[in-house]
Amino acid sequence: MDQPPGLWWWGCMGESMVGETLPDTICVAQDINQSLGFLPAALAEKPGAGPFVAVVKSRNELLRWLGKPLGSPQWIQIEGLLDDPDAWLTSCASQVPLDIVLSNPASEFSDLYRLTDVCAMRDVRVSMPATPGFLKAVTLAASLRLPVRIIPGQPTPEMLVELTEALEFYLHEPMVEMPVEFFHSLLATGCGADHGSLWIILEEDPAAFLHYDAEGHTELPRSGSFQSVKISPELFVEHHFMNLVEQDAECATCPWQQPCRGYFKWPDPAYSCRGVKQLFSRIDEAADEIKRDLANREAELHLIARDKR
Amino acid sequence: MSGRVFSVILLPTSECNVACDYCFEHKEPHRLSSLLVPLLTRRLLDHLEHEGIEECEIYWQGGEAMIMGPAWFADAGKLMDGAAAECGRRFTHYLQTNLISYSPAWNDVLRTMFSSSLGTSMDYPNVHRKLFKGGAEAYTELWTRRLREARGAGIEVGVIAVLHQASLDIGPQRFYRYFADELGLDSFQVNTPFPGGPASQVEGGFHLDNDALATFLAGLFDVWIERGYATGVSLGPFDALIHHFTGAPARLPCIWKENCSNQFISVDSKGTVAQCDCWVTSYPESFFGNMFREPDLTRMLRESPARREFVQRPKHLVEHEDCLSCRYLSICHGGCPVRTYSALGTMLAKDPYCEVYKAVFGRAEIHAREILRRRLVTEIGGSTRVRLPD
Repeated sequence: MDQPPGLWWWGCMGESMVGETLPDTICVAQDINQSLGFLPAALAEKPGAGPFVAVVKSRNELLRWLGKPLGSPQWIQIEGLLDDPDAWLTSCASQVPLDIVLSNPASEFSDLYRLTDVCAMRDVRVSMPATPGFLKAVTLAASLRLPVRIIPGQPTPEMLVELTEALEFYLHEPMVEMPVEFFHSLLATGCGADHGSLWIILEEDPAAFLHYDAEGHTELPRSGSFQSVKISPELFVEHHFMNLVEQDAECATCPWQQPCRGYFKWPDPAYSCRGVKQLFSRIDEAADEIKRDLANREAELHLIARDKR
Repeated sequence: MSGRVFSVILLPTSECNVACDYCFEHKEPHRLSSLLVPLLTRRLLDHLEHEGIEECEIYWQGGEAMIMGPAWFADAGKLMDGAAAECGRRFTHYLQTNLISYSPAWNDVLRTMFSSSLGTSMDYPNVHRKLFKGGAEAYTELWTRRLREARGAGIEVGVIAVLHQASLDIGPQRFYRYFADELGLDSFQVNTPFPGGPASQVEGGFHLDNDALATFLAGLFDVWIERGYATGVSLGPFDALIHHFTGAPARLPCIWKENCSNQFISVDSKGTVAQCDCWVTSYPESFFGNMFREPDLTRMLRESPARREFVQRPKHLVEHEDCLSCRYLSICHGGCPVRTYSALGTMLAKDPYCEVYKAVFGRAEIHAREILRRRLVTEIGGSTRVRLPD
């Protein structure tokens, strides 16, 4: 349980990439030295980039980046190409990891079988929003031994039901061998590890994961440009969280404020966290079970060692 | 280069020297000419290069592969391995034979090309494997003699047994005793039968009742765990399932791969390419192409309409069958296309042995849990006070 979440893509977080305050309007070559930049493929091709993720959205971009990566991306984020069989036929010279982003997991899930060849050659993760039917994609990805990142956003009551099913699947199905985020890191946190807040776990904290639009402007998580707000990306999460506390939102007294930091109150601060708290509670319950089991085993080992003496 | 391995089931001849009742192969007297081995090798190496694959496993079988003679294999192996080494790749060779024409003349090539091992087949009781003259009894006698000779020469022999009604009738205890005790084997596997040949002829005499088959396999699993597991006897596919369910690396059989179309092809003596030996010998409608006529194997595999159906099969199954809700999806993926096709006339359905597999997987889970429990008890000193979860 003390393994870092997300395996390889988390590796880059071991380095200090979050540095000084970032400007609102960016010059790509300047600020990606300080955080992991998510750059549209065309922007990523420009020289001078620091740690970055290339975001590809077309077959041509994919073929170019798979064949011979330009620069050294930490990984390649692939959007909207899973349903294109020809995009996945290419021979791959590089072994750069891939993050396959599904936009509609309920309809795209079966295309995950296209990745069986790809993941024999490189690390692959599957990311998806928690939209109706996403559990199908989680199930198939798990059966293919692919790590998963579920991006919950602000889930509706219906989606909370499916998220709870997904959590039970993650907790109890023997076929699950790889992390299913954000459950995995929250469970680890509940067991005493520190994997940061959901913003970090889900790679949405702009201080560490800065997304850019096609013009090179930084973007707020799941909403618009930073140009529309008067806050730097580095301070965004804490600023957002302090605002919530000051406005007396339920975060002020929430037992999960540390791992959450107002994640579920963004972008709509009026979102009710009632259902989300049940999810947190279930994860804590599972973490308690694990801690109890480990403690019992420790105690047994201790007794046996004492008897032997 | 990736760690991916590409496998080829290579049939240097369709000829056979025996007359088994249930053989579905079209036994045409055709052999792969030595003159074509360089071209075959080139095509395979080009494909490995296109796909960035370092290793290619060649499973030589037939027909009956030993009909080609040891000298033919020695020459073919030398040529293939030399060409592979020149481009930084390698072939690993395996031989599957009925052993009937084995003689000491094979020992050199078995040692140098096949790492002193081979695979063969025998059923118990043997009622269907027959010599042209002498029938099943004579076959068993000759095969057993050849087995002993090969093992006496230091050749490691693995045996595949195809189950049939008489196997089920004698029961798992007797079945296991034959292979492990009477033959003294420490490596064998059981395969489920399928009729092969045209789909319209599937109602042959080799259909087994799924419940009876599941009961037999579960019983055999129990016998193996009780008698063979701890003493190092390998019984496939149970051993791979135990590895899987105890968290060890497991090489599951091809019938349970995510998608067999990504893993291997079969090529016959005329260069015909199909999914596996079952397809290349039985179903012309599913051929991918011909390796000697088409210059680019990679392109053939990418563009073959017949292969597309194989590629699409697992996707189709999770959309249209109940596989997605099965707790064993990750180790089955809908099962074997050829078993499905031979029984139903389409491969776009789940394997007809689905319920049998589930019974075996369930048995494997129970045994694996017990193995882990015992390991834990050993680890913490064998204390009887340790409370373990059910």
